[in-house]
Amino acid sequence: MGSNNIVVFGGGSHPQLVNMICENLGVKPAHVELGKFSNGETSISVHESVREKDVYVIQSGCGHVNDNFMELLILLSACKTASASRVTAVMPYFCYSRQPDIPYTAKGAPLVSKQKENVSFQSSSNGGQAFTLMTHKPGEETLLKANDSGLRQFNNVGSSTNLIKSTSFSRIPMIPGGKEQGSSKTDAGELFNAQNSGYKLWVAQAGTLIANLLTTSGADHVITMDLHDPQFQGFFDIPVDNLYCKPIAQSYIQHHIPNYKEAVIVSPDAGGAKRATSIADSLKLSFALIHKERRSQLLKGPPSTTLTSGNTLPVTAPLITPFSSREMSSSTSTSKYVQTTMLVGDVKNKVCILVDDLVDTSYTITRAAKLLKDQGATKVYALVTHGIFSGDALIKIQQSAIDKLIVSNSVPQKETVEFLGKHRVDVLDVSRVLAEAIRRIHNGESISMLFEHGW
Amino acid sequence: MATNSIKLLAPDVHRGLAELVSKRLGVQLTDTVLKRDPTGEVSFSIGESVRDQDIFIITQIGSGIVNDRVLELLIMINASKTASARRVTAIIPNFPYARQDRKDKSRAPITAKLMADMLTTAGCDHVITMDLHASQIQGFFDVPVDNLYAEPSVVRYIKENVNYKESIIISPDAGGAKRAATLADRLDLNFALIHKERARANEVSRMVLVGDVTDKICIIVDDMADTCGTLAKAAEILLENQAKSVIAIVTHGVLSGKAIQNINNSKLDRVVCTNTVPFEEKMKDCPKLDVIDISSVLAESIRRLHNGESISYLFKHYPL
Repeated sequence: MGSNNIVVFGGGSHPQLVNMICENLGVKPAHVELGKFSNGETSISVHESVREKDVYVIQSGCGHVNDNFMELLILLSACKTASASRVTAVMPYFCYSRQPDIPYTAKGAPLVSKQKENVSFQSSSNGGQAFTLMTHKPGEETLLKANDSGLRQFNNVGSSTNLIKSTSFSRIPMIPGGKEQGSSKTDAGELFNAQNSGYKLWVAQAGTLIANLLTTSGADHVITMDLHDPQFQGFFDIPVDNLYCKPIAQSYIQHHIPNYKEAVIVSPDAGGAKRATSIADSLKLSFALIHKERRSQLLKGPPSTTLTSGNTLPVTAPLITPFSSREMSSSTSTSKYVQTTMLVGDVKNKVCILVDDLVDTSYTITRAAKLLKDQGATKVYALVTHGIFSGDALIKIQQSAIDKLIVSNSVPQKETVEFLGKHRVDVLDVSRVLAEAIRRIHNGESISMLFEHGW
Repeated sequence: MATNSIKLLAPDVHRGLAELVSKRLGVQLTDTVLKRDPTGEVSFSIGESVRDQDIFIITQIGSGIVNDRVLELLIMINASKTASARRVTAIIPNFPYARQDRKDKSRAPITAKLMADMLTTAGCDHVITMDLHASQIQGFFDVPVDNLYAEPSVVRYIKENVNYKESIIISPDAGGAKRAATLADRLDLNFALIHKERARANEVSRMVLVGDVTDKICIIVDDMADTCGTLAKAAEILLENQAKSVIAIVTHGVLSGKAIQNINNSKLDRVVCTNTVPFEEKMKDCPKLDVIDISSVLAESIRRLHNGESISYLFKHYPL
């Protein structure tokens, strides 16, 4: 296939990135009209022939996700039915890749009950936030697996008959002796978990569905970047190229962070430990981990954490600093939980680089930054691949201890830069990596080099 | 086979129709939690076991945020399927993207086909819909599709609410002639047709009336009312031709854009829609709107489908 066979379509989510990719590829974005009918249905007309062409459709999973995703599907399907020889979906940020294991509120706290109910199972005003675990996924390798593995179970922490309808979901197995539902008569139908005692909450995982929908709409190939779950690739029946932002991030660290050799790479939660260690490894930096957990007060103190990360990085005697913010669960419950945030590793008088793949509510990362500063870190950088920044995330970051935010342009970052100011944000350009991947895939060359060296 | 029962599921918005169906069937809506994060991603959970149950998901897709509703529906179907439901039936009275059912110009997407594929991919075993824009869309599916008709309900409404002996049925375009003609036959009424030349989607140009409407109550019948530009224009033409009054009966009252304004400013006496599309809020702004409740048709079809009985009775008759 000659290079004149390449056709790049841009969805409506990130026109700027589309233009940059096209510039790198030396092609013009193909002419497509995107719009909506008056009833809200997406309308698309493709103004360029795609017959026997190699078509790439670029759409990031940002903005209004469902609209953009449907737009992508319709565009893929239009190209496929217009006899394109191959259709590739390029999704710099893959939407629905992060399915929370518990429904969560805008603040990031899991919420299990209907909206109309008052879900306050904690008395402290800040309490609802104590249970953030959005970025924490089962299946990812965690350093503290031993601690973590037991915490997966959902439980109803008792809701007594009256007033506060509290359905709290703890990840800690119920303490023996913790009462089963106090009564089955708590407003039947309102609290289904109480109602069906024994039925554990179960949340739909949209991953496979999203993968299948892409295949159904005619995608032959998917290019994405820093998938939240590497396992996501397995959901597809078609090849998925998961590019990494890591090389770009590394070169940023090397070139823009003064004295980077003294810096510490920090993972804001156990789920991201692997990602952070791999950067730490290749730059030969030390590494620290922030671990959140809730445990019963019955257990005394943090358990002896064994740090076996499986890689060569030697971690000196773990400095475990329990930060018990003493956030109790509902008083009606028999077992009490304390949220503990632990920092594993030493950051005193060091520059810290928080590494995460995705920041949405920014709750985790701003909390982590605060913890690091409290522990004597001199400066905190936050290095994020996908900056969704929904809700009041940007305000939180502005007020947080993060000195500099480094984020890729997989999702439009114009607002972020305008809000936080140029001195506080640096935007990494991923268009070259994506463009190079498109070029290589088009020419049938290997792209594995991009994993290590970037472009 | 062990006995299984009907489970009704509905998204958290526009539950009106689902609640009516649930009341009619005497089956409670299953508790579900549907959460959206600020970007619009949906997470869904079902509050009770649905293993080996017969699931019916009732959704009303109106105007405005179609894509959100579609994704929600797909996720709900998929969730039910992966939760080991025996059968998942999607009840989509107003089938989205039904008008994009052909490749009318080069490289135009056939989104209705894509919708069909997506529903099947999500794990849908059966689809119930109503007055499909083109009944050929049934052929896009690999699973059975029951296309119900609003006609029996419309007939009942006309008989009860309109002095129908003095009426005439009007089709606002050639495409709807068949629908109007069947209705006219059922009511033993005359029938006229307005022929229009449409320049672009959602835009109307020149219209010509075929038939005599002098001193008649004109009942315009259509499957979908979007911006209502067509209806308003048609009413004008009918009144120019000495019609007594004009009412419009449409199955899917999408009523998007300037629809309410158009109806209020038009010479239509009344616009009657079925509740396949949620438009309760719009009724406040528009006194001319009226509703035909089709929940009993859906409820009856659910009952029959669950019990393995024939549905074709409902094509002709209004359930008791």
